[in-house]
Amino acid sequence: MSAPPFLDIEGVTVRFGGLVAVNKLSFQVERGTIHALIGPNGAGKSTTFNCISRYYQPTSGRIRIQGEDVSDYKPERMAGLGVARTFQNLELFSDLTVYENVLLGCHAHSANTLKGLLSRPSGETRDLVDSLIERVGLMHDRDTRASELDFGHQKLLELARALALKPRLLLLDEPAAGLRNHDIEGLNRLLTELTQRDGITVLLVEHVMQLVMAVSHRITVMSFGEKIAEGTPQEIGQDPLVIEAYLGKGAAHA
Amino acid sequence: MKSISHDRWALLVSAVILLVLPLVASGYVLYIVNLLMVFVVLSLGMHVVIGEAGQFALSHTAFYGIGIYTAGLINTACHPPFFISILAGGLLSAVLGYVIGLLALRMRDIYLALATFAFGEAMQWVFLNWDKVTGGSNGMRMQPAELFGLKLTNDLQAYPFVIGVAALMLWLTVILSRSQYGSCLRAVRESEVAAMAMGINVKAMKQSAFAISAAFAGIAGGMYTLFTSFIHPESLGFQTTILVLTMVVVGGIGSVRGAVLGAIVFGLISELLRQALSVQEIIYGVILMGFMMFKPKGLFAGNQKRAATVITPAASA
Repeated sequence: MSAPPFLDIEGVTVRFGGLVAVNKLSFQVERGTIHALIGPNGAGKSTTFNCISRYYQPTSGRIRIQGEDVSDYKPERMAGLGVARTFQNLELFSDLTVYENVLLGCHAHSANTLKGLLSRPSGETRDLVDSLIERVGLMHDRDTRASELDFGHQKLLELARALALKPRLLLLDEPAAGLRNHDIEGLNRLLTELTQRDGITVLLVEHVMQLVMAVSHRITVMSFGEKIAEGTPQEIGQDPLVIEAYLGKGAAHA
Repeated sequence: MKSISHDRWALLVSAVILLVLPLVASGYVLYIVNLLMVFVVLSLGMHVVIGEAGQFALSHTAFYGIGIYTAGLINTACHPPFFISILAGGLLSAVLGYVIGLLALRMRDIYLALATFAFGEAMQWVFLNWDKVTGGSNGMRMQPAELFGLKLTNDLQAYPFVIGVAALMLWLTVILSRSQYGSCLRAVRESEVAAMAMGINVKAMKQSAFAISAAFAGIAGGMYTLFTSFIHPESLGFQTTILVLTMVVVGGIGSVRGAVLGAIVFGLISELLRQALSVQEIIYGVILMGFMMFKPKGLFAGNQKRAATVITPAASA
């Protein structure tokens, strides 16, 4: 018997009043891979994302992580399971420093007891924080407040904060949006390194196709709340349904 | 690093002044210092819930009153060592604060401010009308606090203990602020959504901040009974909450140093203006407006970079 997929989405439906944002969506993400979730605006990607990180409650369907049904878990419980996320519109602790932002990412493993909570972070934790700040290249701004960083650096800070959780599953909501080409290449390298060196599984929502096509092992395409295609980057690039969803009817035949 | 040694120097100088003061100062001056220490603890308590956790709780005076009545009644009834009656008031306030903290789980910002304001008003009404316990509008006489048979009957006798409790509460606040718990409170203040993603139990943080803040106010109430023998509900109204809010905000919201210095400056101003009763409110208002116009970030929070160094655990390690 083969191991269950790392992340298993089974028949997830999300209704907001009369609107069906996600309709019977199913897909699996294999351990240690980068899986991209793409589709036009309003396709339901971020809604799916918010279901996995437990901010939204699906109307029906199941979400499993390594076989464990997490469909009823509270969002704050996900960090302990090794699930970290970033946010489409940045949710940094703006008034706190880069250092303290990343330190808070360590909460789930460094302050999970009353004693840990009431003490200062251990030397080990502080070293981890500094190494992550170094890794995303923000050491120069270690004691700068998050709100004073430029947009690209804020995105990197959010990534470092997510990595501080020591995640096994990393949910990235448009990490490349607003980045310059140079920074996208850096992100590309970092994502590949995360899966290959650290064995982290990545679910990526992204519009920047240059990044998606370069790093993804598999791609799931959504349109109007439904899955319309799934496959390798090559397969997706040639799929007529996908081209139609992105470029409109007739484009695939042109 | 520089600002930390500044704080150390300030603490050292204050300690020397506080040591010499009883040798040279009159009873009235010692009374003012005692009162200022009560304000410091009130202000530190409000700093925890508003400055650190970002929850606009305006029920502070209610817990202060509960601390005063609890400690006063216990002292009158059974003369225990004073720290027991102070602790009892702090504990009762903490429990009630935890319950009031439930409000913060359901509402935020201006709604939370209004709801906690209403609780404060309700408690003042209780103090005014529960005649059997509080003496109602006649006020309540309290027996002096004791320590192993020694009765604290004047400001000089109470002085070292009032200072001691204030120093202890300041030390606790600094520990709390630098701990990972302090970081979690600030995370909740900055973004609840992100705090949840970090695995932080946002509800537990809010409720515990309410309880701790209320405990500080209750303990401040107990400190008040060390050097006074009479309490009237009139002084336990919204004005006192606003005075403490002024200390925290104008001192520099989010900064321990701001909360302490704000309490001293505004405690002094409000006490000195008592002499000039008729124009008191006007002068107070003008001073307040001036501070808000010229130092909107607070008088003593330092510039932003400096404030950041102080709250970063590693930098102060």
